Amino acid sequence: MLSFIYYIREFLRPKWITTFFTARTPPLTTPPYFRDFPELTDKECTHCLACMMICPAPEAIIVTQHEGVWRPEITKGHCIRCGLCIEACPEDVLASGRILAYKKEEELTLQGTFHIEINQSTCMGCGNCSVACPVNREIDPALRSSGTSTSDEVIMRIDTGQNKVLHEEKCTGCKTCEDNCSNKAIRVARVVEALQGGEE
Amino acid sequence: MSMLQYLKNTVRSRSIHVAYVNVGSCNGCDIEILACLSPRYDIEQYGIYVHNNPREADVLLITGAFSSQWEDKLKPLWDKIPHPKVAVAIGNCPISGCVFNRPETLVDPPVSKHIPIAAEIPGCPPRPTEIISTILSLAPIIFKDYEETKK
Repeated sequence: MLSFIYYIREFLRPKWITTFFTARTPPLTTPPYFRDFPELTDKECTHCLACMMICPAPEAIIVTQHEGVWRPEITKGHCIRCGLCIEACPEDVLASGRILAYKKEEELTLQGTFHIEINQSTCMGCGNCSVACPVNREIDPALRSSGTSTSDEVIMRIDTGQNKVLHEEKCTGCKTCEDNCSNKAIRVARVVEALQGGEE
Repeated sequence: MSMLQYLKNTVRSRSIHVAYVNVGSCNGCDIEILACLSPRYDIEQYGIYVHNNPREADVLLITGAFSSQWEDKLKPLWDKIPHPKVAVAIGNCPISGCVFNRPETLVDPPVSKHIPIAAEIPGCPPRPTEIISTILSLAPIIFKDYEETKK
């Protein structure tokens, strides 16, 4: 009997009633270390496009010019918040969560090279890629519609009806060749190397 | 405002029923929806219930980049939901297709081409906090005074 009275008294306490009916988990705040969409710092963007090169999601980051100042723009709905653009940026233009802190601590740098792959069974040897390549044009301005070249310094050239890659390391990853290939036979792949502890 | 309308508003603000549909997602966003049910986030304290039955749903959460098998299925599913109803796109995939939206893939984003989308939550995946706060901020806009504003 005494316990009944005790329970009734316990459950009629205003504090117990209010906590029972208005129970809430603690306010849902985003922790400061959360890797959110990258935000701009006040550092100056040098238009090196390292962020666009590293970005795994299509159309997620684009470097645009506003009143003479270059700056990267993140598109929400495309960005997957992986933070690679922050790691890749040599000028620390972007920031998010703890990425800049550990990038500095570990002296993290990303280096990218490009690998050109040509599917020889679909390549017609038309030479569109060799002619369209802006680096090729710079090295050998005489490169003409057939894609053949007398220069050995070009990235790729048509040789005996097949496209041959000579200097892969000169590729800048613009993918103009991919856009100009009618058979989608050429693919440019990015090969990224992460270095810790400064230059080896 | 009539007394009945006031009662309806009160009840609807504490009773939001949710169905979710995966139209070709990688399951990442589905796991984040699942995390909303966990004690850490606990959506039921806000009066949000997951039944996963379109006939009694108010909010339809859509994840995924819309694979071709859903062409003839998503619209009938949307029509089954009684009014007032609202569709929320969760994650990047229903918005843009994100990493799946490449040449020669079979996805057909955005989902807003197929059914009307009221809110989009970007992120790959979005945080459970973002999902809960979106539903909670959207619900009063859609459900409050529905009978008076629908005309």
